[in-house]
Amino acid sequence: MKRKTFVTLSLVPAIGILASLALVSVAGAVWFALMNRTLRSSDYEFVGAYNFLRLLRDKRFFNALEISAIWEVVTVTGTLVLAVLLAVLIYETVKKPLWRNLICFAFLVPVLLPRVAAAFIWRFLYSPSLGLINYLCGLVGIGPVEFLADPSLALISVAIVDIWQWGLFFTVILLKLMETLPRDPIEAAMLDNARTWEIHAYVTLPMLKAPIISLALVKAVESLRSFDLIFVMTGGGPGTATETLDLYAYQMGINMGGRISYASAMSILLLIVTTVVFTIIWKAGKKWAA
Amino acid sequence: MGRLISVTLTRALLALLIVVALGPILWTVLGAFKELRDIVTPVPKLLFSPTLENFATILRNPTIRDGLLHSVIVVSASVIIGAALGIPAAYTLARHARNWGDDVQFFVLSLRFMPPVAIAIPFIVIYLDLGIYDTLFGLILVYLITTISTVIWLSVPAFERVPLNIEEAAAMEGCSPFEIFWRFALPVASPSLFGALVFTFVLVWNELLLALTLAAQNATLPVVAASITSLGKEVPWGVINAATVLLVVPPLVFIGLLMGLLNTSVQSGRK
Repeated sequence: MKRKTFVTLSLVPAIGILASLALVSVAGAVWFALMNRTLRSSDYEFVGAYNFLRLLRDKRFFNALEISAIWEVVTVTGTLVLAVLLAVLIYETVKKPLWRNLICFAFLVPVLLPRVAAAFIWRFLYSPSLGLINYLCGLVGIGPVEFLADPSLALISVAIVDIWQWGLFFTVILLKLMETLPRDPIEAAMLDNARTWEIHAYVTLPMLKAPIISLALVKAVESLRSFDLIFVMTGGGPGTATETLDLYAYQMGINMGGRISYASAMSILLLIVTTVVFTIIWKAGKKWAA
Repeated sequence: MGRLISVTLTRALLALLIVVALGPILWTVLGAFKELRDIVTPVPKLLFSPTLENFATILRNPTIRDGLLHSVIVVSASVIIGAALGIPAAYTLARHARNWGDDVQFFVLSLRFMPPVAIAIPFIVIYLDLGIYDTLFGLILVYLITTISTVIWLSVPAFERVPLNIEEAAAMEGCSPFEIFWRFALPVASPSLFGALVFTFVLVWNELLLALTLAAQNATLPVVAASITSLGKEVPWGVINAATVLLVVPPLVFIGLLMGLLNTSVQSGRK
């Protein structure tokens, strides 16, 4: 087999399937967004930009946009801050490899859980009448707290589950990365009588700038896929307090009368925003990290 | 003395962290063996007479059994096809694509940026028109986006780590590119590739949105589990806990592997 034949045969099926599926879904979404199609009837006609214009006047859409933005910021920063703090703590206090490995194993468990399972586990813990957390709150005289039914607490309560899954996972990655760092700069700083936190803030963490930026990007992309967690824990409620864009698009497109065209318009906007933003951030991040 | 106190405090803090990481899961496992009256108590019970009733309930329930079967079919088909197509493509991208390989890789990666709902909504209508809505075939087809792209994304670095001189020596002996790939690169890279496949498996096994929208009747296990809350009047917490345990076990089997994958990729990732 010639080199060229091998390259073609190995690449074309995989990339072909990916490209055609991506193209079909994007083209389909654009096409339906310009119609007024619903799941109930098979009749539809061309309505131009009507769906997009209606989106601009839809308060619930802007609410969902805001919730999505808050969700991204809270989960990405929460995950990274937790991971950095815990990685430094474990790096400094746990020296025995056996204990370190045991902690790493424990910290890897949450991220492997299916989101649906994680959502149920925490719904059970958060439950006001029989949840463990509210029992503990009760012991110190608070509560019962309606973690998932109180509009001001619901989003943060769900975000905590996301940070629980990803923050502990990133702690393990950061810890492994810190173990591979050269010892010389750290020992030099210790000879200069630097305090422990100074060593990490000015020596080790700057050396890990590139991987930390990549982790932030990975988390930002993964945070967009939070439908399962929110869907099972709150379903977007109470009211619309935890309704992100994908939940709203799902409600519109499937639950509430199947307004496919309107939901398509929404997903097109979501697609454009995320693709443009992430392409820019990804390329800039690579440059900045290099 | 001060040192002793601080050592004790850090130990307590670390113990607390492990409890936070594992406690919720262990509590759920415990709940799966409880009768409802042991769950609905104002004071949480650690001691109770265990029952297998919850597991019996879910295994006797035809919807859950079907969900399990559908999950196994959909996940294995999409991961196997994803591997068969993705691994050769990743090898070519790692070895035979100097100039345009990065662009193709970025395209593959950019599929991860696509919000799943933007895939789900158009595919509902397309599948309805084609008559493959609510079929396992349709679900496997959209899952290929996830499996092929993830396999490629994780396998390219695995092939890049294969020492070049092995492949060069094989080429000198007159091996064709396919032979080099099949007889030399693939066996050397296979441990990392296996890790990539496991990761892909976990992603698809855990997926909810596409399964919920495209195959609501022929649902996979996450969809069935997500809908249990509405069984009957009382929230069957014991049954929910048992279903959660069933859902959690397959990915957790691979935890050791994930750890190994992390160790190798961290060590070779640092330059």
